[in-house]
Amino acid sequence: MRQYVLKRLCLVVPTLLLISIIVFSLNHMLPGDVVVLMFEEKAYAKDLDALRAKLGLDRPLYVQYFSWLGDVVQGNLGESLWTKRPVVEEMMRRLPVTFELGAMGIIVALCIALPVGVLSAIRQDTLKDYAARSAAIVGLSVPPFWKATLVIVLPSIWFGWAPPLQFTPFSENPWQHLSQFILPAIILGIAPGASLMRLTRALMLEVLRQDYIRTAWSKGMREPRVVLRHALKNAVIPVVTLLGLQIVQIANGTVILETIFGLPGVGRFLVDAMFQRDYTVVQGVILFTSSIIVVVNLLVDTTYAYLDPRIRYQ
Amino acid sequence: MNRQQAHPGEARGVRRRDLLKAGLVAGVSLSTWPLHTPSVLWGAEVGQPKRGGILRVRGYDPVHFDHHQTINFKTNTTLSFAYSTLVRYKVGPDVEPGTFITEPHLAEGWEQPDDTTYIFHLRQGIKWHNKPPLNGRELVADDVKFTFDRFLREPGNADRHMLASVDRIEVVDRYTVKFVLKEPYVWLINVLANPRSMWIIAPEVVQQFGDLKKPESVIGTGPFLLDHYEPNVKTVFKRNPDYFLKGQPYIDGVEWLVLEDESTGLAMYRTGQIDAGPWHWWVVRQADLEALQKSHPNLVYKDVVDNVTSAVYMRTDQAPFHDVRVRRAISMAIDRQGLIDAVFLKGQPTPAIAPGLTAWSLPIDQLGEVARYYQYNPKEAKRLLAEAGYAKGFKTQLNFTGGYGRDVIDAVQLLEQYLKEVGIEVELKQQEYGAYMATTFAGKYEGIATGPISIAWEPDSVLYGMYEPGNLRNSSHVNDPKLLAMLQEQRRTKDIEARRRLIFDIQRYIAEQQYYVFTISITYTCSWQPYVKNYVPNPSFDYGGRVAALWLDR
Repeated sequence: MRQYVLKRLCLVVPTLLLISIIVFSLNHMLPGDVVVLMFEEKAYAKDLDALRAKLGLDRPLYVQYFSWLGDVVQGNLGESLWTKRPVVEEMMRRLPVTFELGAMGIIVALCIALPVGVLSAIRQDTLKDYAARSAAIVGLSVPPFWKATLVIVLPSIWFGWAPPLQFTPFSENPWQHLSQFILPAIILGIAPGASLMRLTRALMLEVLRQDYIRTAWSKGMREPRVVLRHALKNAVIPVVTLLGLQIVQIANGTVILETIFGLPGVGRFLVDAMFQRDYTVVQGVILFTSSIIVVVNLLVDTTYAYLDPRIRYQ
Repeated sequence: MNRQQAHPGEARGVRRRDLLKAGLVAGVSLSTWPLHTPSVLWGAEVGQPKRGGILRVRGYDPVHFDHHQTINFKTNTTLSFAYSTLVRYKVGPDVEPGTFITEPHLAEGWEQPDDTTYIFHLRQGIKWHNKPPLNGRELVADDVKFTFDRFLREPGNADRHMLASVDRIEVVDRYTVKFVLKEPYVWLINVLANPRSMWIIAPEVVQQFGDLKKPESVIGTGPFLLDHYEPNVKTVFKRNPDYFLKGQPYIDGVEWLVLEDESTGLAMYRTGQIDAGPWHWWVVRQADLEALQKSHPNLVYKDVVDNVTSAVYMRTDQAPFHDVRVRRAISMAIDRQGLIDAVFLKGQPTPAIAPGLTAWSLPIDQLGEVARYYQYNPKEAKRLLAEAGYAKGFKTQLNFTGGYGRDVIDAVQLLEQYLKEVGIEVELKQQEYGAYMATTFAGKYEGIATGPISIAWEPDSVLYGMYEPGNLRNSSHVNDPKLLAMLQEQRRTKDIEARRRLIFDIQRYIAEQQYYVFTISITYTCSWQPYVKNYVPNPSFDYGGRVAALWLDR
């Protein structure tokens, strides 16, 4: 186990390095030049060349990359080219909002996936099963931004009601703070919830046909015990893997939902930075979120050991 | 000496009220709309003002707070709540939208001893916001001099050209400041009233903060104090109890909300979470209007003709657009009314000055012979192209941005179709707003481009910038000595009617040359909650001034 984790940890380093190269080069390949934008808007210097030099963007790309990487290794993601504020500080200020939304999205996804997936499996080919599978297809097919728009627009037309759409800090009004996360979290959780539900159902169907389950039934065990204790625990391992992958989808979803629901999270910060070609912010945020995803996947893999003691990571 | 009024220190016996009245008259006489007498009150019914309440409206997230280092409207509209100008465009229920009447503001009046000297007399007792390092000290002439010295000195100020005619600013005494010009410039008062870049600042604040980019450095003499700023969320203002216009502002504060999503904004307006329309200028998009009027007939709706023109602009310094026949063909290929009917729903074809600036815009049917270039006539367009040697048409690229909203994107697709009909095949090149402003709008592009091109509070700053060779606003790369001479002539013409005739002649000449193929100017519908009283919309950045004059009667 320890050896496996160490191996995985060693793999994390080249993975992140590769991500950093991709992020850095793609960022600089975007059309539009931050120096031109800033010179028009901010005019920190007397001409474009002076501004380029001031921002350190006159150096060869590889020099810029290694200079940035050197700072990153020391935990410094640099400063925003526009605001001159440290990227880490700006990100940390917004991170709680994104984490809160993401965590609530995951909870929603699991609340949908596990019970509906199990129910759909144990009531295979019944009306309930068909309904659940159809709903999952719809949930997967409809993009989150459209769901969000409908959720905001339709109630406002039909009932003259809309969810609170301006951010209120928890310290100011806890209930309003939570209530503004409920709808985006549900929307965020639907698509990954639908994917997980379909997987849960398929795996449950497979497990429920295993001999040890038949043995459990023949011993006279009651349904909840057989399904939840014997079947679900074994079926859920690939679900956990997929949940790890769904974190990416949830992270992507926060970007658009934060904009629509007026939540000042990292996603919105990233979108603004991209529009402004704020290279250091874009690089910092993407590298940070990529690191989280890599770490989450690592955690998912190591969770296998807990869920299935037969896995020994040889 | 053409003395329009006397300074109180020099003319004993003159009451302040008389002085203010005289200042107002002087302002009006030099305004963009000197002959206008509004016949209607445009605002909601004017009753007794009520104190209190918080106004929640669609606002913007400024890139930063230093108005000498950006011309971004998000910064300037935000600052309008906290700062004041020497003179301003009048606000209030008797101002018809689209008219921009200059009036005294921090200066209670001015005099013009000769063509190149303006002397401004400040109101006495105006206090800066009660925040350190100013702590409510009095506004003095040194502050005004410092402001405009910084305006002219700051290399990043893209609006510096607006005061290029100013030679120096001198402090005459504690409350008197003198502008000495290099040459006559009849638009000076209008330019000083421009709610962009002209906000008066204090030297101590710049000394303390280094620049004015931080929200903490927003310390002005305006109707509201900046209470706090939450990036990407809102800027919160609270009432300035020491504001120099007595009684104002009537409300306790303003929440200036960042609402970038159209649907979200509309839902908030429908459900009363904001107090005015959710789109730019607090309007409701025409596409949403009918449904909203049906479900919410109680809201106030006012149509306003825009002071913004849209245009197709092109590299007139390069082939084939250096040929006037090609430019005229492009103009005649476009069905302007078709664009309005299909996309914008309300609006009208526009000459170089948008119809919203009613005093200076020459209606198309008064352009004379050259009005035909505004007519949709694909057959004649093809003939002109053939005459210019492009019988089979040509290919080019059409640059635009999606940053102005989906209506503009729809219009671009229709435009592509119109041009194709006469043989001009365009490759669409969409840019992000920032990149578009920094490149295409600034003239760095190939082929042609399209989008909103000008906003006018007076005709000079629009026309001069767009046609002066080398000017950053000259997106079409125009270099026409005859036109430049006409533009310079109107800058020196004091007689307002003679100047108007010159501006009309310029619009005729521009229509003939089609350096910019002006397309349409939209009509938009402003809307606000019925409990918002004494509010009148106007397409200027001075949201703060208009908000200071309104009250809430929930």
